[in-house]
Amino acid sequence: MPLKDNKQLTAFIPGTIVDVKVKVGQQVKQGDILVILDAMKMHNRIISPINTKVKEVNVKPGDRVTKGFAMVVLE
Amino acid sequence: MPSKSKIEELKKRKEEVLQGGGEQANAKQAAMGKLTARERIIALLDEDSFHEYDLFVEHDARDFGMDGKVLHGDGVIIGTGSIYGSPIAVFAQDFTVAGGSLGSMHARKITKIMDYALRMRIPLIGINDSGGARIQEGVNSLAGYGEIFWRNTLSSGIIPQLSVILGPCAGGAVYSPALTDFVFVVDKISKMFITGPEVIKSVLGEEISQDDLGGARVHAEITGNAHFYAESEIECFEQIKKLITFIPWNNSRKARRFEPKEPKPEFNIENIVPNDPKQPYDVRDVIKAIADDSDFFEIQQMWAGNIVIGFGRLNGETIGFVANQPLVMAGVLDVDSSDKASRFIRFCDAFNIPLCTLVDLPGYLPGIDQEHAGVIRHGAKLLYAYSEATVPKMTVILRKAYGGGYIAMSSRHLRADFVFAWPGAEIAVMGPEGAANIIFRKEITEAEDPEKMRRKKVEEYKEKFANPYVAASKGYIDTVIEPDETRKLLLHALEVSSTKVADRPSKKHGIPPF
Repeated sequence: MPLKDNKQLTAFIPGTIVDVKVKVGQQVKQGDILVILDAMKMHNRIISPINTKVKEVNVKPGDRVTKGFAMVVLE
Repeated sequence: MPSKSKIEELKKRKEEVLQGGGEQANAKQAAMGKLTARERIIALLDEDSFHEYDLFVEHDARDFGMDGKVLHGDGVIIGTGSIYGSPIAVFAQDFTVAGGSLGSMHARKITKIMDYALRMRIPLIGINDSGGARIQEGVNSLAGYGEIFWRNTLSSGIIPQLSVILGPCAGGAVYSPALTDFVFVVDKISKMFITGPEVIKSVLGEEISQDDLGGARVHAEITGNAHFYAESEIECFEQIKKLITFIPWNNSRKARRFEPKEPKPEFNIENIVPNDPKQPYDVRDVIKAIADDSDFFEIQQMWAGNIVIGFGRLNGETIGFVANQPLVMAGVLDVDSSDKASRFIRFCDAFNIPLCTLVDLPGYLPGIDQEHAGVIRHGAKLLYAYSEATVPKMTVILRKAYGGGYIAMSSRHLRADFVFAWPGAEIAVMGPEGAANIIFRKEITEAEDPEKMRRKKVEEYKEKFANPYVAASKGYIDTVIEPDETRKLLLHALEVSSTKVADRPSKKHGIPPF
């Protein structure tokens, strides 16, 4: 049974991708900004909850994402 | 003067009971990475301050082979002592004695110290480490839990009640912590659930470990049942001690006053909040730029991070800070953040702790899941808590204050005593984009270049309404201030409101939406 999912970084609300800061295979540290999501009048920083490698990047700047969409998947 | 032999006998009897469950059981407790109940009390309280009562209490069970069985102290230690000189009543369940199981005498010791704490109007700390009801004592165990819950409720709002979960706390037992004001958990040690993994497996076929079901992280991050999370028991005790410095002994006192200290220069209030309302920042830095010595003691740090709650001080006096956190989910209000803040506000109000609210939020979080989770009812808790609170209430609108969120966050309309706004504040019924689209729908759709017209109307709306001056012109905010004046004005507001009178119609009690 999954606890808090630290691997799939999903959109908490629909929005527009402003910036993508990482590439597939890149090493990231806890707290690193992965993606900037424009939603709820804010450029929300989607940050890495753990130290790991980026497995998938499913968005590019300008993309509209729906709620729950996995923008980045970590290893 | 009793004879020497009588004193020797007392010493011998004491020594016997002080062993708890004995060497083997104590070693087992240590192997689980846990201190014993007595070690915990000694680590938590001021040196040599603890006095124990009911050391010689014995259980009175006769059935199922209990007759003649010796259970030292009946598996729980009670007494009084102090933390930084403040008097404290404490109980600690002793897992080394019959697994800390709760029988009728065990419960009677706990209720005795609870009665004492209430009568003397001093805080109560309960250390929970128990396998649950003592099955051999049947319904008497259940009666014991009920007596504890009743006293938790009776004492609520009169004395602070702290629950420390240092072992299993399952079944009915978890409701006592849930009724208290603050719950402390420790990684790998705390376990709280109503029905454990075995029952879940047999009834539902679902498999889960104790830790994944109700471990420390689960309650600190997912359920919100815990207020403080620590990696070790010693860290947990430090958290408890720090909390005690911020809260009063009871509801007719103020918290202890400390020597006022200016905030640390590294927290420069002018450099924290970005001009662009779309840029996030950590609102805790604003609190640290305002609070004495930049000391902010956060509560429920790992849960519902879109709202920040905790204690700090202004001019040496304890303040309850409530702040939207733009860094997490844009700082929206939702089911969990409303729940988190409203409980805290009610604690502060009950214990004479003034409230300082920092506002920067886009509004309530839209969504089917939120609506179906009852965001109406949970959001209403926040309105209720702020409206009901009669302690001094100071509000600073840092940036965005839109829609229902503006009203909910300690607005003038809910009887905030002071409402200040920074010059960049945007106080309006909704954001410029949404508002322009609705108000000027006709102009926009009928324009030759609708997109150009839309942008023009958004700008017009922004200029006219996305500022603090419309609200200021109605007196909804008292004054527009520069950021570096914030602390000075809050100190002044606090001074002016120290003799505040807030009359409310008398009633038995209100009916908050919970």
